[in-house]
Amino acid sequence: MAEDFRSRFRVLTDGSDTPLGADHHIFIGPQHPWAEEPAHFIIHLKGERVVEANIRIGFNLRGMEKAMEARTWRQNTMLIPRACGICSAVHQNVYVRLVERLAGIEDQVSERAKLIRMFSCEAERVHSHMLWYGILAHDAGFDTLFHVTWRDREIIMDIVEDISGNRVNPALMLIGGVKRDLPKEKADKARPMINDLIKQVEYHKKVFTEETSIVNRLENVGVLTKEDAKKVTPNGPTARGSGLPYDIRKTFPYELYDDIDWNVVYYTEGDVLATTLVRLDETLESLRMLNQILDRLETASGELLQRVKPRISEGKYMTRAEAPRGEDIHYGIANGTDKPERYKIRAPSLGNIDATLKRMDGEYIADMPVILRSYDPCFSCTNRVMIINQSTGEKKIMGQDEFARRAIKAKKYNRPFF
Amino acid sequence: MSDALNELENILNITIPKDLVEGVVKVEKGHFDVISPSEKAYDLMKILHDDAGIYHLSTISAYEKDDSFNVCYHIQHRIEEEVKEIPINFIVTKIDKDNPKTPSMIDFFVAADYYERECYDFYGIYFNDHPFMERLILPEKWPDDVRPMKKEYSWEQIREITLNLAKQISEDD
Repeated sequence: MAEDFRSRFRVLTDGSDTPLGADHHIFIGPQHPWAEEPAHFIIHLKGERVVEANIRIGFNLRGMEKAMEARTWRQNTMLIPRACGICSAVHQNVYVRLVERLAGIEDQVSERAKLIRMFSCEAERVHSHMLWYGILAHDAGFDTLFHVTWRDREIIMDIVEDISGNRVNPALMLIGGVKRDLPKEKADKARPMINDLIKQVEYHKKVFTEETSIVNRLENVGVLTKEDAKKVTPNGPTARGSGLPYDIRKTFPYELYDDIDWNVVYYTEGDVLATTLVRLDETLESLRMLNQILDRLETASGELLQRVKPRISEGKYMTRAEAPRGEDIHYGIANGTDKPERYKIRAPSLGNIDATLKRMDGEYIADMPVILRSYDPCFSCTNRVMIINQSTGEKKIMGQDEFARRAIKAKKYNRPFF
Repeated sequence: MSDALNELENILNITIPKDLVEGVVKVEKGHFDVISPSEKAYDLMKILHDDAGIYHLSTISAYEKDDSFNVCYHIQHRIEEEVKEIPINFIVTKIDKDNPKTPSMIDFFVAADYYERECYDFYGIYFNDHPFMERLILPEKWPDDVRPMKKEYSWEQIREITLNLAKQISEDD
């Protein structure tokens, strides 16, 4: 099988050792206005058609797996959402389920806690998909749609903020349950907002399927057939756009996903438009799921949080969940102490790179932005803050240590932070 | 072991030669661990890929166990009619720590490329017959002999190496 994909097994950073027939080489990244995050794409062209594409990654390695070995299971609950900026809840969900299983309390988690976890995960899927198809419209040169989708995305962000206190990093889950309840007042407040958003997403779908200026940019672009998809093993919406109907919420149900009514969305065309429609339909499914979850929360009862001992007995376990971008998989090994022996995280974007490179073969260079965007690239996020003085415009970058030191001082002496 | 092995054989609809497996563990309903020593892992994976039709590799995790390395291939057996997945953790054991070498599974899974190179970066495990066993994630100037995920390096040591590297690079510029 390696022969079919020999293209990648070469050093191509300086354009040497080029593929047959290529006459131009375009380097995108590591820092490029197209991408919010660092990755290096190398695209070899003949005329304006792509012959081959390659990628270099690793510009934002933060060493989380190593850092987790130096912290306790309980501390890691708050480190793990930082694995990804936009899909933080699903990482935390996978982690807490893994630790609960190793601690042997997975049956004791109450129905109410599970429903709140599901609410958090589905709300995250909605805002992640809306962010993505907004940026896709921007890449395709349709900025009006970009602004419309991002305006409507604020509705779901407000709901998430209302129930968790944060906009993108709800961090609601703890080992053994959830941190806070979703009371009836907040559910009543969220319901009309969700119904409004359903109408808006239906309108977005109408634009994506009927407006020719965007359909022409996406239709029959970057086709990935089912046979190719089986070879390059994409996951999540990228795979479901190519006719592989696998969604972990259905194929290996976790939490209460087998208990509520929803459908797996998949399309067989395999082009960028198909992956877009998968995400649009999934957003609608998730919004309907949110309504169902709120209905069930009215009667669901149970303790929000179970007691867990800090020491986790020896064992190893693998858990997976359907993140907005695809299959999120964690593998944890416990050694009987309060710290993990080994913890492995594989976020979905890494699994989708092969598929995206395969999509590019033979396409026009002008279609690169939408194809590169098609798998929802997400490399990581930041680990420090930049502080800008509003009156003078002075910028200062503050590391983690200094930030912590200042925060402790401010608390200790009751002083303002700055 | 034999119960779990029989159950797995029924699900996959194949027969697994007993001499290739070291053990089969049923983790939970429809979730198995298959354990195989490194010299026999390639033949066993060939059976799983060619006969049982497993094509999806989720990821590979390497870890240290006593005085050897283990490499775990997380593969999924997919049943399309029922829209069902059977996760299998294919654990390759007995990889010598002093000279870590194990067969590459890139013949069966294209995705193994990135994941095997990641293990090579972090643990120094060399995958035989991989066509391009090069650095994937670590920085270009990272010292070759430091494999950061090994237990012999503490978190503080890795942090110090990283800071020194960053300082050196900024001075070079």
